[in-house]
Amino acid sequence: MRLGSLENLRSQLLEVTLALVVGFVGGALALTAFGHNAFENIQVMISYGFRDLGYLLLKSAPIVLTALAFLVPLKAGLFNIGGEGQLYAGAITALLLSKVGFYLAIPAGAIAGLLVGVAIGLLRVVRGVNEVVSSIMFNWTLYYLSMFAIQRYLLDPVYTHQSIRVDRVLSLPEVAAVMLLSPLAVYLLLYNTELGYRIRVAGSSGRVARYAGVNLNIVTIQSMAMGGFLAGLGGAIQVYGVTTVVDTTLSSLYGLGFLGIGVALIARGNPLAVIPAAILVSGLLIGSHWMELRGRVAPELADVVIGVVILALSAPYAYRVLASRMGWGVGGG
Amino acid sequence: MNPTPLSSNTIKPGQAVLMKGITKVYPDGVVALRDVDFEVYEGEIHALLGENGAGKTTLMRILYGEIRPTRGEVWVWGERVEFRSPRDALAKGISMVYQNFTLIPNFTVLDNIYLAVSSTMRVSREEVVGRLQTLMGELNFKIPLEATVEELPVGLQQKVEILKALVMGARILILDEPTSVLSPLESRALFELLRSLKAKGVTIILITHKLREVKSVADRVTVLRRGKVVGVFGVGEVSERDLARLMVGGDVVVEGRKLEGVRGGVALSIEDLHVRDDRGLLRVKGVTFNVRYGEIVGIAGVQGSGQKELLEAIVGLRPVERGRVLVDGLDVTGYGVGERRRMSLTYIPDSRGEGLALTMSLTENSIIGLLERFLGRLNSIRWGLAERYASGVVRDFNVVHRSLWDPVLYLSGGNQQRLMVGREISANPRIIVAHEPTQGLDIASSNLVRSKLLELKRRGSAVLLVSSDVDEVLGLSDRILVMFDGRIVGEGAPGDFDEEKLGLLMGGFVEAR
Amino acid sequence: MVVDSYDILLYLAFASITYMTPVLLASLGEIIAERSGVVNIGVEGILLASAFAAALIAIVTGNPLLGFTSGALVGLLAGLIHGVLAVYLRADQIIAGLAFNMVAYGLTVMGLVSIWKHHGASPRIGVSLEEIEVAGYYVNPVSLASIALAILAWYTLTKTRVGLALRACGEDPRAAEAMGVDVNRYRVVATSIGGLLAGIGGAFLALEVVGQFTRGISAGRGFIALANVAFSGWNPLLAVPGAYIFGFLEALSIYLQQWALGYEYIARTLPYIGTLLVVTVFAWKAIAPRSLAKPYVKE
Repeated sequence: MRLGSLENLRSQLLEVTLALVVGFVGGALALTAFGHNAFENIQVMISYGFRDLGYLLLKSAPIVLTALAFLVPLKAGLFNIGGEGQLYAGAITALLLSKVGFYLAIPAGAIAGLLVGVAIGLLRVVRGVNEVVSSIMFNWTLYYLSMFAIQRYLLDPVYTHQSIRVDRVLSLPEVAAVMLLSPLAVYLLLYNTELGYRIRVAGSSGRVARYAGVNLNIVTIQSMAMGGFLAGLGGAIQVYGVTTVVDTTLSSLYGLGFLGIGVALIARGNPLAVIPAAILVSGLLIGSHWMELRGRVAPELADVVIGVVILALSAPYAYRVLASRMGWGVGGG
Repeated sequence: MNPTPLSSNTIKPGQAVLMKGITKVYPDGVVALRDVDFEVYEGEIHALLGENGAGKTTLMRILYGEIRPTRGEVWVWGERVEFRSPRDALAKGISMVYQNFTLIPNFTVLDNIYLAVSSTMRVSREEVVGRLQTLMGELNFKIPLEATVEELPVGLQQKVEILKALVMGARILILDEPTSVLSPLESRALFELLRSLKAKGVTIILITHKLREVKSVADRVTVLRRGKVVGVFGVGEVSERDLARLMVGGDVVVEGRKLEGVRGGVALSIEDLHVRDDRGLLRVKGVTFNVRYGEIVGIAGVQGSGQKELLEAIVGLRPVERGRVLVDGLDVTGYGVGERRRMSLTYIPDSRGEGLALTMSLTENSIIGLLERFLGRLNSIRWGLAERYASGVVRDFNVVHRSLWDPVLYLSGGNQQRLMVGREISANPRIIVAHEPTQGLDIASSNLVRSKLLELKRRGSAVLLVSSDVDEVLGLSDRILVMFDGRIVGEGAPGDFDEEKLGLLMGGFVEAR
Repeated sequence: MVVDSYDILLYLAFASITYMTPVLLASLGEIIAERSGVVNIGVEGILLASAFAAALIAIVTGNPLLGFTSGALVGLLAGLIHGVLAVYLRADQIIAGLAFNMVAYGLTVMGLVSIWKHHGASPRIGVSLEEIEVAGYYVNPVSLASIALAILAWYTLTKTRVGLALRACGEDPRAAEAMGVDVNRYRVVATSIGGLLAGIGGAFLALEVVGQFTRGISAGRGFIALANVAFSGWNPLLAVPGAYIFGFLEALSIYLQQWALGYEYIARTLPYIGTLLVVTVFAWKAIAPRSLAKPYVKE
C-alpha cells in the first residue's frame, strides 16, 4: 500500500527537521545554563556519534523494537508506555533461559513481554484501568523484580556487579537482520493484513469502528500483545546482541523503552521511518557518551534534546500557523 | 392565497425585530437564505415554518449573532444592530434556546443558571434563587433547583433553558424546534408556558415544522421554503392545508422513475419494531413494513422522527427492544453488523463521521464494509484490487481528489459524501439502506446519486431510502411510507400523495379517514 | 512483643503522613487541572525539576523556605508551559507530558553532574523545616498544610463561583463558553496552579523526605498521583486517603527493606504493585470530566 503523496512526505520531513533544530537549540540552552560550551559539546555529540557504523547499528536495534512496541498500539489509539517493563521482562527471561539455548531464550523473552502487554490490555478492557498508569506501575515493578532476579539467580560468580553471560552472542548481521526485518514485518502487518486494517480503523474513531463492525476490546488486547512482544524481543536482543550481560543496576537496559517512544514519534508513526529515526537517536546517544568523556557533561543531554524534539512535534498546530504565516503549503487539512 | 400583513388586534404596536433583505451564502456556494424579510411585533408569538433545510435556523442564528449575513440588515427595537456574538444579542435582550441545550448535564439547575447569570452581572446565589422562585410562581410551574439537569425529563430541561434566558433579562425568546424532543403532554405544557410568557410581554419566535403548533399557539406565521419567504400570515387567516402546501411546494423533481415494476420477493421485512435511543427513550414505536427486490421504498419524514434508530436496528448497529428484522425470510434480529453485511445488506449512514475513517486514505475507506472481498492469501489485503475498486468509485461518483492514497479528511464535504455513498452502491448490494444519501450535495451530484440508486433497483436490488428531502422521496420511490414520532402514519404510492397531504402527515396532522 | 508491633504500627502511621505529602500535593494540583479539562502527564517531570531546584537553592542559601519557594516557582512555570501548549497550540496532551518528563529527567541529571560533579545524588541538604510534635511522633507542617489545602480545594471547587466555572470548562466547554466563561483562560490558570502545587510537592520530596536530590527522585510518584486522581473521583477530599494509602505502602516498603534482608528489591516493588492493585480492585466508574484532554476549539 502506498503511504501518501510526495508532498505529504515533504511536509513531514520539514516538520521533523524543524523539530530537530528546536531540539538542538534546547540542548544548547541547557548546556549554556549549566556553564558548558554549547557549540563545542554539541559538535562532539554530532560528529562522534555516527562514526562507528557497526556499533551504531547494534545500539539502534533494541530501540527500533521498542519504538515499534509503542507504535502498534498507538495505531489502535492506545498509549503503550510499558515498553520499558516489557523490555526488562524480555531481557531477564532470555537470561534465565540462556542456559537452555538462544533459540529458546530469545522467543521466550518476546513471549514474556507479550504477557505483560496482555496484562495491561486486560486491565483496561475488564476493569477500565488506564493503560498509562498501569504501564508505569508495571515498569517499576519489573525494574525491581529484574534486579532481584539478577542478584539472586543470575549473578556472575566472578564479576559480581553483573549477571552471567549469554551462551552465544548474536553477530552484527543477525542483529541487523532483526533490526531491518521487524519494521518491515510491522509495516506489512499494519498495512497489508486484515488485522492491521482493523487496528487502524479502531484507532481512527470509535464511531467508525462500530460502523465497520470492529470490536474495540479485542483490538486492544491484540495490539497490546503485539507491543509487548516487540519490546520483549527488544530486551532479548539487547542482552544477546549488544551487552551480553546485564549489570546489577540495570543501567544497560534503563531508558530504552522511553527512547523507543521518542523514536516512534520522530518517525511520525511510520514503521519504516523508525529505522532512520532509531539510527539518528542512537547516534545522539553514542555521541552524548563521547561528549561525557571529553567535556564532563552528563550524557543525559541526549534526553533533553530528544525530549524537546518530541515536545515540538506534539504541537502540529504550531506548524500550521507557522507555515501559513510563511506561505508554505502544508499538505491540505 | 395571498399573504397579508397582519391585522389582529391582540398585537401590540411596536416592532421587536425587523430583518431586511437577508441573504446568506456559505463559502462552498450553498445559498441558505435568499433576500429574506422577517418582521416580529412586540409581544406576539411568531412562528417560523418550513421543512428541514428551509433556512429557519440559519435566519435565527443570524438574529442571535452566531452567524453574519452575507447581505441584509437587522433591526432590534427600532435600532440597527450588527451582532458579532451571542453576547451582543443577549445584551439586547435576545435569547435563543437550541435543540441541543447549552446546559452542563451533571450540574444542578441552580448551578447552571447561576453560572450563566453571574457571567454578565454580579449577583449572589440567593438573589438568583429569589428571582427564579418569583418567576416560577408567576409562570405557574416548579422545577427542583437542586436536581441535576440530566436527571430531569427533557421537557423540564427545556424549561430550565427558558428560565435561564428569562433571568438574564430576555425580552425576545427564540425557540428552535422546541417540541422535537417533547412528548405531546410536555408540548402542551410548553405552550401554556409560552402563553403565560406572552402575557408578561415577552416576544416569542417559534421555529417549527409542525402545523398543529403553528395553529394552536402562534399569532402570526412566516413560511420559508428553500431559503425564501413564501408567505406571511395571521394564523387565523390561513388553513393547515394551505400552510402545508406552501411549506412543501409544488416543484417536485421527478426522476424518470416508475415503470419496470418488476418486483421480486421480499428482501427485507420489519415486524412491529420497537427501538430505544442512547438515552433510553423509545424512538421507534411499532413499525412494520416490507421492502421487495426491485423496488425502492422511501420513508419521508422530518429528521428526528425515529428514522435513525430504525435504520440502525435494521442494519445491526442498535439492539431491538421488541419486534423482528428479517432478511430473505431469515430472522437476523440477533445478528451483528458484520454478519448482515455478509448477507449483502449495506448501509449509507447519515453522518460522514460515522461512515468514514477520516485519517485513512480514500482507497482504505472504499473497502471498509467489504473487506472480505479484498482479502488474499493469509488474510493479506489485495491493495491492487482495492485500488481498482476505489478508482471505479471515484470515477463513477465524481469524487474530486488528488491521490487515492490521501487521507479522506483532505476532501471537501461533498466529495466525502460522494465517496461514502459511492462505495456502498458500487458494491452492488442486494439490499441497500440509504440515510440522507444526498445531504450536502449540489443538484448535479444529487441527481447522480439518485440515478445510481435507480440503476440498483432496476438491476433487482432492494432499496430503502430515508430522506428529509420530500422531492427526493417522491421522485425515487415506488412506495412511500411517512414517519412521524416513531410510527408509520401514511403509506402508499407516490401518486397517492400530493404535496399538501404529505406536508400534513409529516407535520403530524393525521387526517381522519 | 505486642507492645513492639503497636509501636511499629504507630511509627508507620506517622511516617505515612510524610511520605504521602508529595503525592497528595501533586494529586491536588492535577485534580484542579483535570477538572478544567487538561491532563498533565508531565507531573512526574515537575516533581523532578522542582525537587532539583529546591535542593539547589536550599543547599546554596541554607534556607528551606527559599527552597520551597523555588520549587513552587519551577512548578508554576512548568504548568504554565504545559497549559499554553495544550490550550493554545492544541498539542497532544499525553505526548507533551511524556516529552516533558524526558526533558526534566535529562536537565536534572545534567545539573547533578555539572553542579555537584556526581552522577547519583546531590550533597545532603542539611536544613529542613521544623517539625511539629504530636504524641511523641513528628509531623511536618507542610503535610498538615497539604491536608488543609485539600479541604480548601474541595471547598473552592464545589462551593464557589470560580470552582463552578472551572468545572464547567472540563464538563462542557461549549456550554461554558456560551454562558460567558473564558474556557481557555481558566484552563491555563488551572494547569499553572496544578504545576505550582506539584512544585511544592517536589520541593518537599527533596527537602523533607529524602534529604537530598537523587537521580530520578520522583520514582513514579507523578504517575501514582495520576492514578490517585482517578481513584479519588476527582475529589480533593478523597485524594487524601488515596495518597495516604500510597504513603503507607511506601513506609511499609522502607521498613521491610530493613528486615527482609535479601528481599529488599521485592519490598521496593510494594508501592507499585499496591497502587496497581488498588486501582484495579477499586475500579468504580468514577466519571472523569467529560471534556478531559480534548482541546476546545471555538467555532
